[in-house]
Amino acid sequence: MRISTIALANLRRRKGKAVFLMSGIGIGIGTAVALLSLSGSLRDEIGSQLDRFGANIVVTPHSDSLALDYGGISVAGVSFDQHQLSDADVAGISRIRYRKRLSVVAPKLIGTTEVDGRKTLLAGVDFNSELRLKKWWRLTGRPPESPTDVLLGYEIARAVSAIQAVPGSVANADRATSHHAAMPEEIRVTKEKVSLGGREHRISGVIGQTGGPEDRMVFAQLGQVQGLLGRPGQLSVIEVSALCKDCPVEDIVAQIKQELPHANVSAIQQSVRARAEAVDRLSRFSLVVSAVVLAIGALMVFTTMMGAVVERTKEIGVLRAIGFRKTHIIRSLMIEVVIISAAGGVGGWLAGLLAGRLALPYFTEGGAQMELRLSLAVFAVAVAMGTGIISSIYPVLRASRLDPSEAVRYV
Amino acid sequence: MAFVVVENVSKTYSDQESGIGVPVLRAVSTEIAEGEFVSLMGPSGSGKSTLLTILGAMNHPSQGRLLIDGIDVYALSDERRADFRSQYLGFVFQQHHLMPYLNAIENVMLPLATLSMASLEKRRRGLDVLEKVGLAEKAKRLPNQLSGGEQGRLAIARALVNDPPLVLADEPTGTLDTKTGDEIMRVFLDLNARGQTIFMVTHNPENASLAHRVLHIRDGELELATDSRARTASRFSPAI
Repeated sequence: MRISTIALANLRRRKGKAVFLMSGIGIGIGTAVALLSLSGSLRDEIGSQLDRFGANIVVTPHSDSLALDYGGISVAGVSFDQHQLSDADVAGISRIRYRKRLSVVAPKLIGTTEVDGRKTLLAGVDFNSELRLKKWWRLTGRPPESPTDVLLGYEIARAVSAIQAVPGSVANADRATSHHAAMPEEIRVTKEKVSLGGREHRISGVIGQTGGPEDRMVFAQLGQVQGLLGRPGQLSVIEVSALCKDCPVEDIVAQIKQELPHANVSAIQQSVRARAEAVDRLSRFSLVVSAVVLAIGALMVFTTMMGAVVERTKEIGVLRAIGFRKTHIIRSLMIEVVIISAAGGVGGWLAGLLAGRLALPYFTEGGAQMELRLSLAVFAVAVAMGTGIISSIYPVLRASRLDPSEAVRYV
Repeated sequence: MAFVVVENVSKTYSDQESGIGVPVLRAVSTEIAEGEFVSLMGPSGSGKSTLLTILGAMNHPSQGRLLIDGIDVYALSDERRADFRSQYLGFVFQQHHLMPYLNAIENVMLPLATLSMASLEKRRRGLDVLEKVGLAEKAKRLPNQLSGGEQGRLAIARALVNDPPLVLADEPTGTLDTKTGDEIMRVFLDLNARGQTIFMVTHNPENASLAHRVLHIRDGELELATDSRARTASRFSPAI
């Protein structure tokens, strides 16, 4: 016979009340877990979208430029004190402290050239990194392998008659309807070679229409382009993709700036930040709702415990009369509260997780996963126990302060 | 020196509505010797229960002091007095007040729950007292599976398990029929015969007369005590 024996026996005796209290705490915790899991999953989804989005840091040569206009008419810009980027700068980026957070570093040299006699933009890229960065590119054909392989943008490919639409493809058939205007067109590469700056190159593939500048560009191996343009070792831009789900982009930008003082380094975050802010708001809303539901749960525990103290006045009086100290009464009641709260916390965590999983598809664009986070389980049980204990402090202290002579007389 | 010394004990309750003090006990003094069986009689509202709770170290007197085994009980802190109750006193309540969710042996072991004692030792002591009151075979039964007399005996067993020098009983036969009441009184007499000091509040003059001494209380004042050595022992053959 220990004090815990009395607490456990009491729980067994008042099963209904224990289940009621557990449910109260469990609902509060479940709501909190569901909302926090949902906002966590949404945050993760944004993180992966950010990675899919491509580069989130752009490094360009530093130049002090002066925009000139006269009467609202842009005349020209004057650039002076212009620095060049070089292959060595790529190595510099990979030396920063947060280098492990960099998923892709994609250097480029951009210039103009003639493709089958048409003046067009030529980009020299490292295809390994470029294709990892531009995950939204849909290639018809194969990624370039040899130095003389090139990828053509959609508009250029059409202009040099290197592609044909596949008959019967959806976009081709219903191009006029707005519903299908955004649908990708199925194409077939019909030309093998193209002249680039007077030299023949093999068309390895064509990039599907993106609506972006790449539609009007030709992509070739970086070294090849540096040779074609007569700018060996030079770069125009370096795009960097950092794994930025929770990473400090500003810190990475600062580190690159420090490493490349002659370059402009800027983070592209605007589009993602807007959504991240929306998720932050959802997170804050989740916290407020969770707090309200938990407060209701706490109130429920408080009133139930107050009722239990009144109901158990006789019992507490008898225990005090036979030699139980106030601390013994507190311990006995708190053991019950802790057991109920912990069970409510575990139950609430499981229920919240289930509810979150069921609700997730309605809040995301699909593909988002809800992770089983042990930290959330620990948090749920800790908050449940905290809520139970805090809301029971007054009733339990009141019970311990019952005057035993009054309690015995009451009975 | 007497084992229990009640010295000029007064108790005044404050009327909750008017706030006026209502005296319940007025300068009560008495002594109880070790091994003595004393009963207290008096009409309702005379201060019996108040005196009992003061003797039970649960109700601070407004004036006077209580010495048990030479200890000034109300000079102790609240928590120390709880320890004192655990060591020195055994309570038998009128309605028994057994815990309905604990079985007989668990009810008996209740006063031992706060003591640092091996579980096996607690159980052994519990079974010993159950044996004393003739309930060893019903150790696993819940209180509602016992008869009124058995419940009374179980309440006595609980009061004895910590081997207290003084047992306080508040109308232990008040709610029982004559036969069951006699069964309980038989247990008390037998305990007293073995040297247990007992103080019992009762309305029943016959049961009161079984004590060595009967105290009478009226309007908060003790009247002359009756020496009731002429126990009607013929009514009670030894029970345990």
